Amino acid sequence: MALYNFKKIMVVPTAKDFIDLTLSKTQRKTPTVIHKHYQIHRIRHFYMRKVKYTQQNYHDRLTQILADFPKLDDIHPFYADLMNVLYDKDHYKLALGQINIAKNLIDNVAKDYVRLMKYGDSLYRCKQLKRAALGRMCTIIKRQKQSLEYLEQVRQHLSRLPSIDPNTRTLILCGYPNVGKSSFINKVTRADVEVQPYAFTTKSLFVGHMDYKYLRWQVVDTPGILDHPLEERNTIEMQAITALAHLRAAVLYIMDVSEQCGHSLEEQMELFKNIRPLFANKPLIIVANKCDVKRIEELSEENQASFLFILYQGKLFKDFEEEGISVIETSTLTEEGVMKVKTEACDKLLSYRVETKMKGRKVNDVLNRLHLAVPSKRDNKERPPFIPEGALLRRKAMEVDIPKRKLERDIELELGDDYVLDLQKYWDLMNENEKYDKIPEIWEGHNISDYIDPDIMKKLEELEQEEDLREKAGEYESDTESEDEEMQEIRELARKIRQKKKLRILESKEKDVHGPRMPRTVKKVEKKTLEKEMSGLGIDMEDKSNSHYAVQARRSRSVTRKRKREASEAPASRTRSSSRPPRDVSGVRDAKMLKKVKQMMKNSQRDMNRMGKKGEADRHVFDLKPKHLLAGKRKSGTTDRR
Amino acid sequence: MMFVRNDCKIFRFCKSKCHKNFKKKRNPRKVRWTKAFRKSAGKELTVDNSLEFEKRRNVPVKYQRELWNKTVIAMKKVEEIKRKRQARFIMNRLKKGKQLEKEEDIIEVKKNIHLIRAPHAGKAKQLEDKMVQKLQEDVDMGEES
Repeated sequence: MALYNFKKIMVVPTAKDFIDLTLSKTQRKTPTVIHKHYQIHRIRHFYMRKVKYTQQNYHDRLTQILADFPKLDDIHPFYADLMNVLYDKDHYKLALGQINIAKNLIDNVAKDYVRLMKYGDSLYRCKQLKRAALGRMCTIIKRQKQSLEYLEQVRQHLSRLPSIDPNTRTLILCGYPNVGKSSFINKVTRADVEVQPYAFTTKSLFVGHMDYKYLRWQVVDTPGILDHPLEERNTIEMQAITALAHLRAAVLYIMDVSEQCGHSLEEQMELFKNIRPLFANKPLIIVANKCDVKRIEELSEENQASFLFILYQGKLFKDFEEEGISVIETSTLTEEGVMKVKTEACDKLLSYRVETKMKGRKVNDVLNRLHLAVPSKRDNKERPPFIPEGALLRRKAMEVDIPKRKLERDIELELGDDYVLDLQKYWDLMNENEKYDKIPEIWEGHNISDYIDPDIMKKLEELEQEEDLREKAGEYESDTESEDEEMQEIRELARKIRQKKKLRILESKEKDVHGPRMPRTVKKVEKKTLEKEMSGLGIDMEDKSNSHYAVQARRSRSVTRKRKREASEAPASRTRSSSRPPRDVSGVRDAKMLKKVKQMMKNSQRDMNRMGKKGEADRHVFDLKPKHLLAGKRKSGTTDRR
Repeated sequence: MMFVRNDCKIFRFCKSKCHKNFKKKRNPRKVRWTKAFRKSAGKELTVDNSLEFEKRRNVPVKYQRELWNKTVIAMKKVEEIKRKRQARFIMNRLKKGKQLEKEEDIIEVKKNIHLIRAPHAGKAKQLEDKMVQKLQEDVDMGEES
């Protein structure tokens, strides 16, 4: 249904904007580069594309406008009538028709020029054709300026119309201006309609929503209606009339008994009689507003009589099934009677709607499917509702104003400067006098509160008993078993052995071994060390005459005495003997040869010595001027170092 | 120091050594100097009545002066007993070591006695004495016969 899409109508651009938009779009979205020397079909295609593109754009936009705006024949008659009242049906239809024509014209133009373009034989000709086509399309749109403006205004106003659902439960408020319709709607719903002392404050329809019996109700506030014939009514009043005419709702005719609105009671009743035909088939309630100023009883006799006349008149009308129109006194200022009006109006409307539905044919289909289930009593036990005591007490406390307890803040204010925040007085302890104790917290790194236990003494006793038992069982006696002497001796020996081992290791580490590893027998052992060592091991060294080394020494002495005479024989053993000639004189015959030999030696050594070389094996070449240090530019780095 | 993790678990550290090890994600059960390792490896007393006194209780007890006084006294006694028991536990553990030490000493002595004492030290004298004694006996025997 197009009913609620009034807000979604596309924006109607002004003629100038429309043209600019479309042309710039064509410029951007179609290729722009073309040269004379291209092939003719390419040139033609290029320009045809531009024409078609522009036509397409215009066409789309205009179609959209035509589709978005509601057709007065398709929408609910209430809205159709409302739009007629507000925008003039003829004008509206005319504007849309113009747009339609414009669309068709543009299509035709494009078609013609595309056809002509087929016979264009140069770039210049095609370009001129395109220019003409675009120009004509834009002129067409320029001519629609007025329609477009009008439609834009209609669109803006349409989107701001209140969304009234014509099919749901509605209450309409009507009456003279300034009687209190807007105040009433403000009171009953969340709507916020302007209320002012001058007439025609409300210039259009307003909607408010309220809830009653778990249903949503619409309340429609209308502008005031004056008493003159239909033809002479202005737009504002016509809106009210339209609402009354088309919406199937309960009508609340509001009267001002105190005549503060500026119109007398007779005038109001005249109006009522004139509008009566509009109230046919609608539940009606007369609301006597502003009763805080004047009540019906206070009215003069004749006025009261006319009132009653109206009431009686209601009975004569056979259209009404009710016992007459109810008259309810209200005051939107003191809120007296407002609720009553609301409930009555809603009830009446509901019953009316239900009846109409029952009369219709659709109901029977539904009735067959409905079933109301009622719980039946299974025994005679009374089951009243249960409210817990606490809730009752609290409700009572809320109602009665109990004096509150004294707060800390009050105490603070009383004492002023002397006030000290002492939270410990609220503590709930077993003994009241312990409240201000200083509680120890830590002992030797342990938290005292970890040990707190009501049964601690009992547990401690048990523990101590256990401990006693253990002690008696001899667990805590020190274990230094009296080791027998043998064991101690062994220990002592082991200690000495370990020490000796360590010393030996140290000695061997201290040895300064440079030469080859010779077997032990090469090394000469001193007599003194041997004696010391052996005595250290416990052997008796006093009787040395029988010892092996002494015997050997005697034997060797005797041998060497003999051997001294035969000096020329070189000893067979490898041990060094004094009779071996040195290397530089061995094999030299005489002194002359010796001299020559020495000279030769010196000659061969001369060159080496001059060079300062160690020997003939010293062939090392020193790199005294390394390239990597002396060559190259001075790059990053200091210059005082080379 | 205190470290609060994203799952609201709080870790307290006594010194930066512990804190740094934690940050390195080391498992305390494998780091030898921690209490966690010692207790899990059975190097210290874990189950004992005296250890049950100091624990975190979730039921708060209202303050009572005499209870607190008694607790302070009891706490000191419990501490003493606890220490004794812990020491005993460790001592028992180390007894085995002493046994092994003894055996090792014996082996050492048997193997390496030659480093401090020559095997036949003093034996020469003994031999001599024996020979002298034998001679004397022979002489005596000869005299008798």
